[in-house]
Amino acid sequence: MNKQTLLEMLQQQGISRRGFLKYCTAITSMMALPPSMMPAVAAALESARRPSVIWLSFQECTGCTESLTRSHSPTVEGLIFDHISLDYHHTLQAASGDAAEHAREQAMHDNKGKYLVVVDGSIPLANPGYSTIAGISNLDMLNETVAGAAAVIAVGTCAAFGGLPQADPNPTGAVSVSSLIKDKPVINVSGCPPVPTVITGVLAHFLTFGSIPELDSLGRPKVFFGQSIHDRCYRRPFYDKGLFAETFDDEGAQKGWCLYRLGCKGPMTYNACATLKWNQQTSWPVESGHGCLGCSEPDFWDAGSFYKALSIPDGDYAKASGYAVAAGIAAGAAAGMLNKKTKSDAVARHTKVSVDDFAVNKETD
Amino acid sequence: MNFDKLSDIKIEVENSSQETGNLPGVIAEIKFALEQLLETKKTHCIDLLAMPWSPGEEQKLEKYLGQGEVRVELNALGKSTFIESHYSGVWLVSHYDENGETIGKLIEINYLPDMIFSQTEDIRDSLKRLQSIKLNEQ
Repeated sequence: MNKQTLLEMLQQQGISRRGFLKYCTAITSMMALPPSMMPAVAAALESARRPSVIWLSFQECTGCTESLTRSHSPTVEGLIFDHISLDYHHTLQAASGDAAEHAREQAMHDNKGKYLVVVDGSIPLANPGYSTIAGISNLDMLNETVAGAAAVIAVGTCAAFGGLPQADPNPTGAVSVSSLIKDKPVINVSGCPPVPTVITGVLAHFLTFGSIPELDSLGRPKVFFGQSIHDRCYRRPFYDKGLFAETFDDEGAQKGWCLYRLGCKGPMTYNACATLKWNQQTSWPVESGHGCLGCSEPDFWDAGSFYKALSIPDGDYAKASGYAVAAGIAAGAAAGMLNKKTKSDAVARHTKVSVDDFAVNKETD
Repeated sequence: MNFDKLSDIKIEVENSSQETGNLPGVIAEIKFALEQLLETKKTHCIDLLAMPWSPGEEQKLEKYLGQGEVRVELNALGKSTFIESHYSGVWLVSHYDENGETIGKLIEINYLPDMIFSQTEDIRDSLKRLQSIKLNEQ
């Protein structure tokens, strides 16, 4: 832990108080806190000290690191990385071999009990030889590094839930971080990759308050994963009215109707894409005309085709949908309510269907 | 064709035929906050990046608010603009990083956004610097 406070570091760099407040405004927004919290964030950051972060990459594709570093630098994300001490990261560090491993050990020794461990990638248990770093198996490195950590952040769906490496038949015996680490807080920041602002938002929370944010039942920060994609989707009103795109180039697709029948997994996916968006808030998959893949949920890779509707509500749905078109918005709202009622059952059954299965809807529409 | 940054790629924002319904909600919040400002001097701030918008909806809000008499530009860690809307006391605040990418977008209901004022810490630093200047050595 660096002895200098964040404010002292910024002052040394010639950054004015206004610059500091602007930084705090952006961080407050990044942490999904209301703007009225900005003075409290500023007060906390004034005395915050630079925490040490050790980033371990296991069975992964580097997409999570790409997500973070491909944002246009310098950004608020960049600023945060100036103000944490990223002491070990395979992809980003200049050191290699023994020197790199020495840096990790040194950071662990100097910051015992206080450093953060960020993990991207799953851990293979079938054979330690499937993934090693400097001759050390992923499992050994994880256990050794986490032993003295304050908390662990599992970045990406592979680290959070096993992800693609764990997909059937899971040849490497891949498991998530939380299935191995039971004696430290594990924060799951899922997504393939996660929204960069969500990664830095969690780091900013630790930097600001020295604690971990409130988590949901899957260990994900509620501020970012508290609502489903479907509930925050701007196309949601079309779903409630029973208006769906049937193909990627039909009239419904052109008019921006709901992508549910084209396989959108928004109803069972919890993430912040609909609000934070991607590429500097330019757009997000659904706005680009493609359904959500559900990449921040466990087992998303094995949940059937991305282009098959996730589940089909009960037969009554078709009738209600027909009524919706016939009777207008009021019945559309009723269809929405029916959908809400049957959704949980359907999701639980996890029935997979093709667009053809909706033929009955087409006839009644 | 080379593009150095995302904003170099010209994109046409199509207005969606369906809106999120956030626009009337935000306008109602602004009205209430303006009443509070007059009655109790309580200021308010709305984070526009924290809510979903359909394509073109945010631009519609900006158009609705319009531009009033005052525009202030700040240069600290990138540009920031403070634009008073057609409605006095309602400011559209945009923060950008050094590459011109948006890092904050807020509506502030205040007589003047707090960040525009000279900050006590900076004034103190300025005084120190002025005191250290020895004019006869120049």
